[in-house]
Amino acid sequence: MATSDSEDFESADEGHGSPDKKERKKRLSSSNYSDNALETEQKASNTPKKSSNVKNVEEIPKETDGWDDFDIDDNEPAPTPAPAKSNVQNQNKTIEDKPSNVKESKKSQDTGWDDFEDWGEEDTSSNVQKPEPKPVQSKPQPAQSQKPEPNIQEVTDRLAAASTGGGGWGWGWSVDSLLSTATAGISTITSQVSQGISTVLETGIGAPDPEELARRSVKTNETKTDRPAPAQEADKRPETGSEQEASAGDAAFPFGSLLSGVTKFVETTGTKVIHGGLDTLETIGKKTMEVLQDGDPGLAKKRAMLGLGAGDKPVLSQVLREAKAKAEEEDKVREEKREAKEVHYENLFDDFEGLVHLEALEMLSRQVSMRIEERIRSVDVEKRQDIKETLQQVAELCEMPEEDDDDEESPSEDLSKPDAFHERLQTATQDLGLKLQFLPLVKQYTDVLAYLSSPDADSVKSVYKRGVSSLAQGTALSVEQYHKAAEMLLVKTRRSTADEADALTQMTVVLTKHISELATLFTEKLNALPSDNKEQVNTYITNIFLEAGNSSTYIQNAFQLALPILQIGAV
Amino acid sequence: MTSGPYNYSYIFKYIIIGDMGVGKSCLLHQFTDKKFMADCPHTIGVEFGTRIIEVAGQKIKLQIWDTAGQERFRAVTRSYYRGAAGALMVYDITRRSTYNHLSSWLTDTRNLTNPSTVIFLIGNKSDLDGQRDVTYEEAKQFADENGLMFVEASAKTGQNVEEAFLETAKKIYQSIQDGRLDLNAAESGVQHKPASPGRPLAAPPAARDNCAC
Repeated sequence: MATSDSEDFESADEGHGSPDKKERKKRLSSSNYSDNALETEQKASNTPKKSSNVKNVEEIPKETDGWDDFDIDDNEPAPTPAPAKSNVQNQNKTIEDKPSNVKESKKSQDTGWDDFEDWGEEDTSSNVQKPEPKPVQSKPQPAQSQKPEPNIQEVTDRLAAASTGGGGWGWGWSVDSLLSTATAGISTITSQVSQGISTVLETGIGAPDPEELARRSVKTNETKTDRPAPAQEADKRPETGSEQEASAGDAAFPFGSLLSGVTKFVETTGTKVIHGGLDTLETIGKKTMEVLQDGDPGLAKKRAMLGLGAGDKPVLSQVLREAKAKAEEEDKVREEKREAKEVHYENLFDDFEGLVHLEALEMLSRQVSMRIEERIRSVDVEKRQDIKETLQQVAELCEMPEEDDDDEESPSEDLSKPDAFHERLQTATQDLGLKLQFLPLVKQYTDVLAYLSSPDADSVKSVYKRGVSSLAQGTALSVEQYHKAAEMLLVKTRRSTADEADALTQMTVVLTKHISELATLFTEKLNALPSDNKEQVNTYITNIFLEAGNSSTYIQNAFQLALPILQIGAV
Repeated sequence: MTSGPYNYSYIFKYIIIGDMGVGKSCLLHQFTDKKFMADCPHTIGVEFGTRIIEVAGQKIKLQIWDTAGQERFRAVTRSYYRGAAGALMVYDITRRSTYNHLSSWLTDTRNLTNPSTVIFLIGNKSDLDGQRDVTYEEAKQFADENGLMFVEASAKTGQNVEEAFLETAKKIYQSIQDGRLDLNAAESGVQHKPASPGRPLAAPPAARDNCAC
């Protein structure tokens, strides 16, 4: 009953509120709500709380209801009187029953504190509150029904305390409009202030389990409210006085009979509100929140700080631990990726410019193929057949010979391995009629041999890395030879296609054998190295041979890309 | 030679063109190695250089194709224009003939690249101002008439070299942002590469289908 009373009371007030006041209220109330989460979210985060919090949940709708009712009342003022009357009764009852009033005010303050919990918590709390048990919603219900009325009562009482007795005001319609503003303002302010304080208090506790939280907050609130209580009793005297004055004002009010009950309360509280220095209170409230929230929206930092001080929950440290573990995991993955890239054949091949030489060679090859086709189209039909036959002959010349292990290339023993390699390359390409630069290939071979006999080649992993890298580099340098050969053949003035085809074929044989040689060198080294992980070594050896196969494919592809360049010399 | 980071998001293909001896390879070396090579051998066909730069917080790998200027390679180098996102067209401010040939180079570039290719005109050897044969003004006018970006640079001192390469990249990047350059087009000269391990360019030996063996 009390609840409905107060709701109607508020709505009755607001029914006369001027639009700009309404605006102000909205603004004020928005500072409470819209700044934070949606109302639903508040409720959600709220529900898990214990009794004191649950009360609070109910209070939010209460205020909202007030606004809603306001609209309804505007349209149909008829139902207003009835609740208003009961409200007056209630009011009187409170005045008569001073002790109970004090008690009630305590309770209402309670709600004030709680009210805030939702407010300040919305972003930080969602995590913290999760582990807390589901609430006992039914428990707080009875207490809640009484709450709203005393809340206002208490506020007005407090305001009265500040006032110096009812003044000689001319009572008119403006009073209740003022009052409506006042009530709204007050409720906003009180909730703001109390919310702010309760946030601090609550964070002081950290994130305790619900029972503890409830117990503590009640205790804290009680100690807080103990002091203002006697003062309030004293305040009752001026209140009675102003009420009498209010009854005189009744006559001046045009709709007195209808709204007498309302006005009575309105005037009573109104006087107190006005004299209580609404602005002062409002300023204090705002200032308090400003100070509390300065550079700390949602009071998150203060909460965190105080929570840490209390240190009775491992929430923060746990979060930090998890974050650290996560970061370490990410680092590990990144490191693995980096390493994978480091020994990634294609990346290495690209770094050694193998890929771009292959790409350029491919562009040349395509261009030349188009020229050949143009040439075929441009000649007579009989001539066409001739050209096609020639093209076919050149292609046959470029077929890789069978693996005939004729050891005709067992050169003089007094040559070093790289020099012998160089000699084989030069011999193979002597009929090409071009000056190819084999020195980079020879130098790379020298470097590999030097590395493998150096103390640097001491770990399986580094030998493997170097092996993949050497294969990629050797292949890139080989591909470059085909590219350069193709470019030079295209600007060569006198072509001898058969010789060129044979030379390039021989070069391909030498180069692919060279790649095999490199692979063998590295796998032999891997086998020779002491290792406690034979499986790993075998994987590495397999990979080396795999990449060697890959390398041979690249080289033979490059050779085939050069074929049209050889062919065009013949047609 | 194995230069570490693969974490670039784009690859831009540049092509450097212009008469023999204007200093194309020297410009490239100045840009990639910050060094001046006094006696650069004649380029055969095409040589390559790479450098990773940053534009608008994005790492971009410049894949630079430095073409031979010799007339006899002209047919070969024409094959390489395709898919260039940027073309650096170089002349020598001390040799008027290299400037006079620009229209021929420009025609090739227009014919062999796509409309979104950024063309940057570089008047090289600006350190040899005493032997100047082409004024800045007339070259600037030529550039403006043809919608080219333009600087005078010196591969020897390094003056404006960085600027020419970077401004070209910025313009290309801007074209991507504006949607004028279609990344999906094969000839855009730009590859978008999410920074991840794996093959940085096209599929393995692109010529695999040609393999008859």
